[in-house]
Amino acid sequence: MALGRFLLKRGIQGVLVVWGVVTAVFLLRFITPGDPVTFVAPLDASPELRARIAAELGLDQPLYVQYVDYVGGLLQGDMGYSYLRGTEASTIVFARVPATVELAVAATVVAVVIAIPLGVISATRRREPADYGATLFSLVGISTPNFWLGIMLILVLSVEFGLFPTSRRPIGFFEAFAFLVTVENGLAAPMDVGAFLDGLGTWLWHIALPAVTLGTYFTALITRLTRSGMIEELGQPYVRAARAKGLPESLIQYKHALQNTLIPIVTVLGLQLGTLIGGAVITEAVFSWPGLGTLVIDSINVRDWPLIQGSLIVIGTGFVLINIFVDALYAYLNPRVVH
Amino acid sequence: MPRDDSDVNRRTYLKYVGGTAAAVGLAGCSDDGGDGGDGSDGSDGDDGSDGMDGSDGEDGDDEEQLPEPETREEHLQRANLRLNERAPWIFLNRQYSVYGIASRLDWDARRDERIEAQAISVTEGEPSVTITQSSMDSGLDPHDHRETPTDNIVVQAHDGVLGRNADGDIIDALATDYERLEDGRVRFEIRDGVTFHNGDELQPADVAYSVNRVVDPEVGIESPQSDQLAGVTGAEVVDGGVEVTSDGINPIVFSLFASYCKVVQQDWIESRESSEINSDMNGTGPFQVVEYEQDVEIVYEPYEDYWGDAPEIDELTIRAASESSTRVSELLAGETDLVVNVPPQEVSRVRDEDSTEVAAVPSTRVIFNAMRYDVEPFSSPEFRRALNYAIDLDSIIENILQGFADPTGQPTLEGFVGYNEEVDPYPQDVEQAEQLVEDSGHAGAEITLETPVGRYLRDVEIAQAVASQIDELSNVSCEVEQRDFGSLAGEVTSGNIEDMPHFYLLGWGNTTFDASQTIIPLLTSDGALSSYREDEEVDELMADSQSLPGGN
Repeated sequence: MALGRFLLKRGIQGVLVVWGVVTAVFLLRFITPGDPVTFVAPLDASPELRARIAAELGLDQPLYVQYVDYVGGLLQGDMGYSYLRGTEASTIVFARVPATVELAVAATVVAVVIAIPLGVISATRRREPADYGATLFSLVGISTPNFWLGIMLILVLSVEFGLFPTSRRPIGFFEAFAFLVTVENGLAAPMDVGAFLDGLGTWLWHIALPAVTLGTYFTALITRLTRSGMIEELGQPYVRAARAKGLPESLIQYKHALQNTLIPIVTVLGLQLGTLIGGAVITEAVFSWPGLGTLVIDSINVRDWPLIQGSLIVIGTGFVLINIFVDALYAYLNPRVVH
Repeated sequence: MPRDDSDVNRRTYLKYVGGTAAAVGLAGCSDDGGDGGDGSDGSDGDDGSDGMDGSDGEDGDDEEQLPEPETREEHLQRANLRLNERAPWIFLNRQYSVYGIASRLDWDARRDERIEAQAISVTEGEPSVTITQSSMDSGLDPHDHRETPTDNIVVQAHDGVLGRNADGDIIDALATDYERLEDGRVRFEIRDGVTFHNGDELQPADVAYSVNRVVDPEVGIESPQSDQLAGVTGAEVVDGGVEVTSDGINPIVFSLFASYCKVVQQDWIESRESSEINSDMNGTGPFQVVEYEQDVEIVYEPYEDYWGDAPEIDELTIRAASESSTRVSELLAGETDLVVNVPPQEVSRVRDEDSTEVAAVPSTRVIFNAMRYDVEPFSSPEFRRALNYAIDLDSIIENILQGFADPTGQPTLEGFVGYNEEVDPYPQDVEQAEQLVEDSGHAGAEITLETPVGRYLRDVEIAQAVASQIDELSNVSCEVEQRDFGSLAGEVTSGNIEDMPHFYLLGWGNTTFDASQTIIPLLTSDGALSSYREDEEVDELMADSQSLPGGN
């Protein structure tokens, strides 16, 4: 019951935050230099044509009317029409979501797979070469700018050795799975396992470098957190008691100490996943990854406000949802926070 | 032409043509951003004879009397000479378009920045070709876009009434013959036996519909390309041919049709929703669409019944990567065959590789620093000329653009109708510049050059070099202010000179290959983007030129 109330409270807060994001993003258009009509209208457009375009885009209305219209539209899933392409902004924006989510999740997987063992090794072999190596890795990882790392990976692994493609996303993760669940004439068609494996392989091959690029900072961060968490846990009285009881050291480290270390790491993972979704802009640009990040950049270049706003709102909403999910998970793992 | 009775018409006409031409140019600068080139055929520029020899203190009254221009081209050339003397801009350079290309391809880059894949042949390996641009299309409707990337995607499947070869010369396309019937009316004879990709035969009515769809907001859409057919008012089918009407003589009408207005099938367009028109193409061009994924890629195959020479490649893919380093890496890794806009700093990477090379061609875009005629110190022609003398253009081209540009001393580029061969770029002459500043009465002036960031190839670096060279004059100080292109362009295109910056860097593309489409919008009294509205001689020369035949 307490958990339900806790989640309800978080949900209401989330709605307020999303509303704040929508309002801020809406206002952004009015404080940014460059009139959208300048970008939409032919440069020689007469004042009458400009006025007509402004009217078509609803830009001739008072600010509050535009705001109410915009929020009203959003509630019905209508983000307006792209100024440049003339198609529904929501269609374009949501088409980009899978690529961004895939990249963020893949980067997280890279981080978890590398960082947690590295952090544990570093903590259990303190002041040994392995610890110094892990610490150095995390320092370099945290200090390396994404765009530089991405370009270097492309130059070395793609251009020089031809091990990975330089860019692009020829197939999506779920598109690969579609080979397993195909429907023909309303009936389930036989699974095409070969095509599925091919598709998955192509997807993995293409996402590898962007995921490593985006995940490096995150890996370094989680390594540090795991190391410090483990060191703290290993100094706790219950560890001493376990050792006194004669439990094997590996059991103490991996079953007891690591499990307790993971609680704050799960929180950070969740929060960072949200950051990754919003922060993949540079990585997406370097690898021509067709996600929300490249969409935001391309749209900013031409002041396509419906797309900019739609993308930012989706990113903001995603961040809020992930936060609520993490809060719920944390409350489940550590019921004391509910109270 | 007597001044009094022509003045109203002249101003009206210039207002109209100037305004309509405006979008031609900035559209050119708003497409792919930067480009470059190898400067291999660039003129040296600075040979010391600058066409005006630095006579100071004059404003044209005591010039040597030149014979009256007679032909249209002579009018345009005279306007260029006059503009060089009055120096409303610091004339900088012509940009190059620089492509990275796989050595296995044989292709000549075009001056108008278009990539027509039909002209590509493969000398080795698979006959399929992938092109990577800086962005994908904004929809496939041939009449509802303004940017080069979309153009490059549309031109593979659509033909125009006329076309251009790689040098920019007009060639026949869907029209086999064209003639001027009278002032304001031209006629095109339409090629027989041409079919659209859906198998239907091209009718003259389709051509007329296409023209009307561009120029008439009542037909289909309000096309952003209406100004590309400047002056054209409509088209109709007459005796099996298509007659196009214009306001006034419209001397460059054939030139406009050589660059713009792709032909669509009326039935096909009218029976489809906008979303369908924007996601498929049914043209008469050499390639037909096989697969289209918005924002990702488009794949074509040759159209078997194409009326012209069959393409040599059997599959064409166009993709995009906004980062130039990513495009170059794709080329070096063999993932693509042709990439656009290789920046100067990336050129050596492409050149050093055996499997790739650089293809560069002078573009149709001029880079300049405009100065507002109505504010001090730029109101002084001496001061404006002084700034031109302060600049070491060759060093800017060599060091900043790695030689991938040509210097210019006039707004019109070499090879355009109206280019004046007698006018050379200003040489750097610091003493002369300082003397002219003294003569102008503006010694000690402090000026600011406003430049867009990342809009044109190395724009900020060029602006910084210009400013520092001006700053080196003992009696002028100059600094750079970096601006967002959107807000700078907004001020320049506001139509109100009071809103325009005093001194700014801009680029201007003009794919009509005609001087008028640069000078009228940018340098006449009624030009939509003009910073120079005081020169009746230029106004008159341009107005007269537009009433004479002799366009491209």
